[in-house]
Formats: sequence, structure tokens, C-alpha cells
Amino acid sequence: MEEEDKAPDMEAWERAYADDRSWESLIEDESGLLKAGDDVQQQRQHRRRLIQASGPRIQRGIIRYLCLILDFSRAAGEIDFRPSRMAVVAKAVEDFVREYFDQNPLSQLGIIVMKNGIASVVTELSGSPEAHIRALKSNLESFGEASLQNGLELAHTYVQHIPSYGHREVVIVFSALSTCDPGNILETVKKCKAARMKCSVVGLTAEIYICKHISQETGGSYAVAMNEGHLKEILLEHVPPPAAMPDASSASLVRMGFPQRGSEGAVAICACHKELRIGGGYICPRCRARVCELPTECSLCGLALVSSAHLARSYHHLFPIPTFDELLVDASLRGKSSFAGSCFGCRIQLSGGGSLRLRCPRCKRDFCFDCDVYIHESLHNCPGCETLQEEAVT
Amino acid sequence: MKFVIEGLTVYFPYEFIYREQYAYMVELKHALDARGHCLLEMPTGTGKTITLLSLITSYQLANPSLAKLIYCTRTVHEMEKVLDELRRLHLYQEKEIGSSRAKILALGLSSRKNLCIHPVVSSETSRESVDAGCRKLTASWVRAAAETNPDIETCSFYQGYEKQGSEQPLPPGVYTLHDLRVYGRQRGWCPYFLARQMIQFANVVVYNYQYLLDPKVSGIISKEMQKECIVVFDEAHNIDNVCIEALSVNLRQNNLDGASRNIHKLNQIISRFKETDANRLRQEYNRLVEGLAQQGNLHGSDNWLANPVLPEDILREAVPGNIRRAEHFVAFLQRAVQYLRERLDTDTVVKEGPVSFTTTMSTAAGLDQKALKFCYDRLHSLLLTLEVTEIDEFLHVQTVCNFLTLVGTYTRGFSIIIEPYDERMPHIPDPVLQLSCLDASLAIKPVFDRFQSVVITSGTLSPIDLYPRLLNFNPVIIHSFTMTLTRDCLCPMILARGSDQLPVSSKFDMRSDPGVVRNYGRLLLEMVATVPDGVVCFFVSYSYMDGIINSWNEMGILQEVMQHKLVFIETQDYVETTLALENFRQACDCGRGAVFFSVARGKVAEGIDFDRHYGRLVIMFGVPFQYTLSKILNARLEYLRDTFQIKEGDFLTFDAVRQAAQCVGRVIRSKADYGMMIFADKRYNLPNKRNKLPQWIQSQLREEHLNLSTDMAVHIAREFLRRMAQPSDPQVSKSTLLSQEDLEKMAAMPNF
Repeated sequence: MEEEDKAPDMEAWERAYADDRSWESLIEDESGLLKAGDDVQQQRQHRRRLIQASGPRIQRGIIRYLCLILDFSRAAGEIDFRPSRMAVVAKAVEDFVREYFDQNPLSQLGIIVMKNGIASVVTELSGSPEAHIRALKSNLESFGEASLQNGLELAHTYVQHIPSYGHREVVIVFSALSTCDPGNILETVKKCKAARMKCSVVGLTAEIYICKHISQETGGSYAVAMNEGHLKEILLEHVPPPAAMPDASSASLVRMGFPQRGSEGAVAICACHKELRIGGGYICPRCRARVCELPTECSLCGLALVSSAHLARSYHHLFPIPTFDELLVDASLRGKSSFAGSCFGCRIQLSGGGSLRLRCPRCKRDFCFDCDVYIHESLHNCPGCETLQEEAVT
Repeated sequence: MKFVIEGLTVYFPYEFIYREQYAYMVELKHALDARGHCLLEMPTGTGKTITLLSLITSYQLANPSLAKLIYCTRTVHEMEKVLDELRRLHLYQEKEIGSSRAKILALGLSSRKNLCIHPVVSSETSRESVDAGCRKLTASWVRAAAETNPDIETCSFYQGYEKQGSEQPLPPGVYTLHDLRVYGRQRGWCPYFLARQMIQFANVVVYNYQYLLDPKVSGIISKEMQKECIVVFDEAHNIDNVCIEALSVNLRQNNLDGASRNIHKLNQIISRFKETDANRLRQEYNRLVEGLAQQGNLHGSDNWLANPVLPEDILREAVPGNIRRAEHFVAFLQRAVQYLRERLDTDTVVKEGPVSFTTTMSTAAGLDQKALKFCYDRLHSLLLTLEVTEIDEFLHVQTVCNFLTLVGTYTRGFSIIIEPYDERMPHIPDPVLQLSCLDASLAIKPVFDRFQSVVITSGTLSPIDLYPRLLNFNPVIIHSFTMTLTRDCLCPMILARGSDQLPVSSKFDMRSDPGVVRNYGRLLLEMVATVPDGVVCFFVSYSYMDGIINSWNEMGILQEVMQHKLVFIETQDYVETTLALENFRQACDCGRGAVFFSVARGKVAEGIDFDRHYGRLVIMFGVPFQYTLSKILNARLEYLRDTFQIKEGDFLTFDAVRQAAQCVGRVIRSKADYGMMIFADKRYNLPNKRNKLPQWIQSQLREEHLNLSTDMAVHIAREFLRRMAQPSDPQVSKSTLLSQEDLEKMAAMPNF
């Protein structure tokens, strides 16, 4: 901000760098090489978020129905995010949608856009990321006012068709500072609460009371983005499945079908597009209807259709690997053999500094920061523990 | 928690205490130890009330010789808040030291209007009509008549109070006005008279400023208070104005007309009495020969407003002969009204001192000064003798007598100004005769003299060294505390230029410049598009606000503003403003966003909080100087210069800046809150204005927030709002709090 005052006429693109001051965090190491920033500090920052997210083992809802409400009102055309708030939101949402389906293959997602005082459906609840992204990209224009009430009402009508085991979530990405509603929004919020919709809000400008109210009432979260990177970050926080709502926790069996892929060259009428399709597709095991993509719901008999790979990919949310403990490198211990070791994952030397030393509480093996991230965010298995099991078997 | 300050055990009902609260307690204790007065400034939102209550009640526990705490607030709402805090404190004390030791009786006292539970009387709308309605049912002669004649209506609650309440005092506890009403209903006792009686026994009394400062009221309410009391004036930044108003009287044409009607009616009643009950009048005459009208104990329900002059100035001698007889007195009043009417009928502005005014009065109309002094008491006595209950109808003649008594009593510190029309609207004849008190120290002097310790405190008392001079007293402690913040939740800015880099100001020669008006409009427009929820704007006066809103409307700025937020405007009408405020809050609650246009020195600027989302930004358009051509202000400035050696410029700036600080202080009411403040006038950039802002604003007013233009302010606002929207770290906010252990550690260190 000081930069800003000294040179108020600075161009927007210049300012991006002036605000960052990325050169100030450069550090020169012994050999004269420049390194970006204080590694260890950043690593700790990253881990703090992880630890916060994990918490004790809780029941999670892995079959989610998430309704994404995007605000493309006049305020979304503002250019304090470059090139515009809307473009930035669209990019972040694209990433979010991909990540969401990657981690929650059993879940569905729909997109609603608010503009010109009304809310309209861009995509119905469905399971295909590409379809959502395509529809969103063809819908990029902003004008008029935003109406949270209309958005929530529309999302509420969606919810009625969701089976009771599904988790109903709404994520609102809100650029505007006010909402122009046809009626009393507080009534709508009550309705959403009664329908057990969990509404979270991601703001782009400032804290708005009604958004806070909505999220508090319905048990969602509320965050405001500082900048583009932060926006992506808080949006991605909605990717891991949330804790199950306490009143929805009655265990119930869900009927699912595991369809087989149809043979190449087979001609069938596609149940989802209602036209003749050749080859590919999956055949519903109950009614033999052809569907194009998995996971989905059979449009004839209503059976949930998934593949076993999807189930497996959701499984790790229920049994997460414990967060690793950071071992503080004590100067007195540095020479000792127990600390001289290397990362169990990649065999990098851990004694040199530049990386945190993290230990798995179960197998007591040490890992470097990069492996820690890989294990927790992609692998979902601890190599140390796996080898222990193997040893036990043999 | 419980801790020890220099040997005094303090009970504090929360687990943590802010640093500044602790410092405040230490200073306050020093003042109490020294049995002197003190002046303390601490920003709002730091828990001033609980700090005060906690220390003083603990002090009372340790020193039983201390009689009571008199806590003065400005509004009923504040009064209830104080009592609620006290209740929490009391519960904690009971828990700590047992209910037998922590015995306390605390209550609020307000007018009949707020306390009456009589089904018919309490539904009256104005204070005067409730008072009169009460009197009609409770006056001693009414009740005496009712004993023989059951058709005469009395108040069952008052009767109940008379029968039992006066013997059986209220059990110890903390009573808000609401509690008193509930208790009164349960027992069938009148809460008002119960409260009036109980203040003698109470340890803590919470009431309005008027009850101590206005001699008319304090004469009957606060007469019996012991010297060993601690008096607290909370939110006392305008205390000098309250003092002045307590001793000022305005007379207009309608007052005089009303007074004439009243006199006519009095004449009728007197002649009726002469025929039926001449004896009564004779008795009264005899009483007056013997001494003052008010001798002997009047019954509680009979007395009304006491003499308007200060206690030590009331003459304790016989009423002069020429107004002893009822008909003579009424004739005297008639002449006085006639004379005032003649004076009011003028084309030029007249300014006179009380001495010359009374001299001309006695030569022109034969009204001597001695008799004038007795007017108020004489009227009082007459109304009692005539058993008049509809005192609300006799308000006008009371006002006139009030005026006559004041003008007859005081020779300095006052001035009489007759204006044929309002300066701002010279076409409309609206003659007014103003007796204005110029010296704020007059009204408050008896308070300082009578009580052991007087604490004057507020969020905005800067510059703090001016108050002792204005009020003419010697405080033992003067201190201004700053706020320890966990994050920079205040963002004051001084905006000196519009986006076109031209200076903006409400200076007289610039304010109607379309460029300035447009720049102010653009500022508002940019801000409503940047700030969520509630925005409050303050203008320097109603006429300026009307003008600028008109121009904005013509320029189309207002329409653009309304696309972002709904617009609400404060008017001089009380009901309208209340309605506007209510809708403003609703618009903020439901996310539509709203902007409130208001006036510095108005009702909103003084008493309404715009905390949390109701006020994320406050814009002060211009510097709220007083209307400098006002005759009263000039008289006061002259007096201040001659008597207290306060320069005109200094006083005007002081007054303007304290109003501005008061306005912007509306948005921040607690540490968890956040808000921005924009001072939109280039003159705030001058060090003589900026340095007069309260310390807690100055400390947040960073170098780069001075001399801004609109676009820079918008940028700062955006950044600030994003920063404040981030969740605050509970670990950090703990660091400004002191726990029991911290305090013990500090106490162990001798040189803290």
C-alpha cells in the first residue's frame, strides 16, 4: 500500500508485482544460488492447513450433491481481480470442478448462475466435469443485480429430488456486495436449514452480514478471498467431503449398480441423450439401459450406477492416514545416528535442513515434506505402514 | 476474577481484563483515594462501564463509609445497559464473597413516563401529560377528597405504595426500570414513587444527567444525597452543553399567548375560590408572610419541578408584599407577559445583559427585581393552593416564571438575546427571546462542591485539558487511554481531494461549488460500491444536507447510489427518523445494504450506534463547526474569552472536532468490530484539527492515510475490508487480555 501512495499512477499490471514484492523474499544460500523464500516457513504454513482440515476421525458424507451458485452480476465485471472477477472465478471453478470429481467420484454437482436479478440453471446435477465446464464457459457474461434468495430457492428445488443419504451442499461464490431479493431472504434461509442444506459462501470483496448469517445458520463456512491464489485455495477447501451432519447419520444401505461397458460397435438408444448411439457406453445391470458416463443415475430405473474404481477412490476419506508429526531438529541431536537418516519415501538426506522432518505416528518412519504432501494428498497410503504389514504377513 | 490493586481487592466478573481497563482502574482508584474529581478518556468498546462499576463497587465494599455511587447516563437505553452490567457483576460478587456481604441495592430512576404502570396514565404519549395524569390521581387533595367520595378516581398503585411500600423497603438486588415495573405490578405498588423513595437507601443509583444538573429536577430528587457519594458522568463529552441548557430558557410568541391564557384561567379560579373558599387564600397569604412558599414538608406526590435557580441562590426570606396576594401576583404576571410581548415585537436583534434587562423592566413596567426572583415559587404555591392538577396546561406560564426567576437572580454568566427571525430564514418572522446561560460551570458547580468525587468520562474528551477550564474545576487525575488492538480494526482516513485532485471542503465559500458537490457525490458513489452492508454519512447541518442531496439528485448521483444501497435520511421529526433507522437496519440485515444520511449534532450522531454490519464505513462530509453567526454562540465565545481566556478559534475547533469524533465513533463499539472512517474535508489535514482528534483515532491514523484522493481511498478501503474479513486468530487476541496470573505477576513486580 505504501507503494501505492508513492506512485498512484502505476499501471495495474505493474502494481501486481509491487504488491507482491516477490524479490524481497529471495534468499541467497551458501553457494550463491537464489532460492525463493523461506522454505521451512512455507512448509509449516501448508501443514497447518492440513492439520486443521483433518482433525479426529469423523464420519464423512461421501455421497454429496453440491450445488454451485455463481454470482455473475454487475459486480462480477469489476477488474480488481485481473482480467475480471468473473474470469478469475470461472478459472477457479473449473479447477474446483475437476478436483471435486477426482476426489468425490460418487458425488454430483450442479451449477446455478445469478444475474440480472434472477437465478438460472446452467447445468443440472450430474457427474460429468467436462459438461459443467463447457456449459460454464459458454455462459460468461455479467450484468444486473444478484439475488441470493432466488439462487437459494432454485437450489432448494433441486434438493427435493436428492435421496436422503446424499449430502446436500451449496457453495455460493459471491462477488456483489448486496442482494436484491423479491421477498424475505431470512425465510428462505430457514427453509434451507430445514431441508438440511449446508450453505457455504466464498466472498470476493468483503464480509457481508447476510452471507455470514446464511453460512452460520446452515452450518457452512464463510471465507473472503484476499487474492486470486487465496480464492482458489478457499474454493478447494470444499473439495474433501465434509463431516456428516449429526441428524443424517442413521446408517442405511444404498442400492448401487456396477454396469459393464458395452461392446464396441453395439448400437443402442442412449438413455441420457435420447438418441441413437454407436459403441461405448455402459449397460445398467437392472434395466439394460445404455448410459454414456459413470457415475450417474440410471434415467430409467433410478439405480445409482458407479464403477468399483469410484468407490475405491472415495474410500480413503473414511480412513485417512494420520497426519505426521513434525520433529524439531535439535542441535544437540543433530550428530546422533537416529537423526542422520534419510526420507523413507525418496531417500533424500533429511539432516541437511531445507525440509521439515516428519514422522508417521504408526510406523515411526521419517519423511520429507514433499513426500508428506504426496502421501496425504495423492497416495492416501503410508509406504512405511504398508511395508510393516507385508513384513507381518511374511 | 479477583485481583488486588494497591491493597484494594477488585471483583471483576470476566475471566480476562484488557490492559487499558486495568490502567483505568488504577487511575480511578487514585482519584477516589484523593477524594477528588477526575477526567478520564477511554475509547468505546473497551468496557468502560464494567470497569467503572467493578472498581467503584469494590471500593464501596472496602470502604463502607462511602455512601453511594450515582451513575449518570444520557438515555434510558444506556441506563438499562449499565444496570444489566451491574447485575452480572453483582452475581459474580455474590458467588465470590457470599450474598450476605455483597448486599447491594441498585436501581434506575426515570420519569413517570418510563415507570408508570397505571393502565390509562401510562398510555399517554408525552412526559408532561403522564406527569399531569399521575397528579390528577395522586395529589394529596384528590386523595383526601376520595376518602369521603368514592366516585373520585385514584391510582390503586399509589395507594398500595402509600399503605405498605413506604414502610417495607425493596429487598436488596439490582433493579432495572423494567424490573421495577414488574415488581410494582406484582406488589401493586407504584414503581415511580417506590424508586424515588428507595434512592435514599440504594448503594447505586443510575439516572439521567438532568437529575443532578438541572436545578429544577435535582432540587427534589437529589437533595438528600450525602457528600460521600461518587458521581459518574458517562458519555460526558457534551456535558458543558447539558449544563448550559439546564439554565437556558427560550420564549416565543406561542409561549406568551399560552401564558396569557393561563393567567386568564388562574384569574377565574381565584375568583371562584374567593366565593367558595376564601379562607384558603388567606391561609396562603399568611404562610407567605412568614417565609418562603415552599416551607413545611410537602407531600411526595404534590411537589413538582423545583426552583430553576441553583440551590445556594434561592432566597430564604419572605415573599415581597407586592405579590403576596393571589390577585396581585396574577396581575404582576400579566404585566410581565405584556412587557415581554412588547420586547418580542421588534425588527432588530437585541442583545442585553440581565442587569440592564431587569432595570429597563422595572422602569418600563414597574416589575422590581426582588419580586422577579420569587416568581417561580410564588406560582408554585398558588397552583397548590388552588389545587390545580392539570399542570401540563400551565406549562407556558411556568416557562415565563422560570424565565423571570432566572433573570431576576443572576447578574452575570447570562445574556438575553431577542431575534426577530431566524438568520437562515429571514423571510419568516419568528421572534424569539432567549435567556441563554453562557457559563457551563454554573450548573455543575454545586455538584463539584457537594460530592466527594466526580468522575467525568467518555470515549471522546479530546483535547482533554479544555474541559477543566470550561467547567472550572480542578481534577486530581486527567488521563486519556488508548485502545490495545488485536488487529488494526479501525481505519481512519483523511480525504482532501476528489478523484479530479481538486480539494474538497465544506468551507462556506466552497460548499456550494458544483465541483465540490460532485466530488463528494463521487466519493459516496465509489464507497457504496466498495463497502458492504451499512454506510453512515454525516453532514454539517440540516440545511447543508438538504442542499447537497438536492444537487446529487439533479446530477443523477443519488439514483446511481440507490442501485447499490437504499438511502435513508434523518429528519428533524423524531418518529420519522426512528422509522428510517428501523428500515435501515432491516436493509442491512437482509443483505440489501443501506446508506444513512444524518447530521452531526443530531439525535443519530449522539445516541444511535451503528455497530457491526450496520456501520462498516462512516463518512464525515465537512467539519461540523457551529453556526458561527449565531448570536448565542458569539455571546458565549465572548464570555469564554473574557472569563476563561479561551480563544474563540480554539473553542470552535475543539467543538467541531469533538462532534466529528463523536460521529465517526458511532461505528466501532467493540474490539471485535471493525469499521472505516473518512474525514472528507481538506481542513482535517491541518495539524490543529488532526491533533485534536482523540488519541485512539490518531494512533490509527497512519501517514499514508492523510491527504488522500477518492481513488486512493477506495483502494485502501478494498484492501482493508478484505483483510478484516479474514478470520481473526484467537491466539493473537488473547495477547491483549490479562488473566488472573498475569495480574498477579504484575502485582509482584513493584515498578509496573
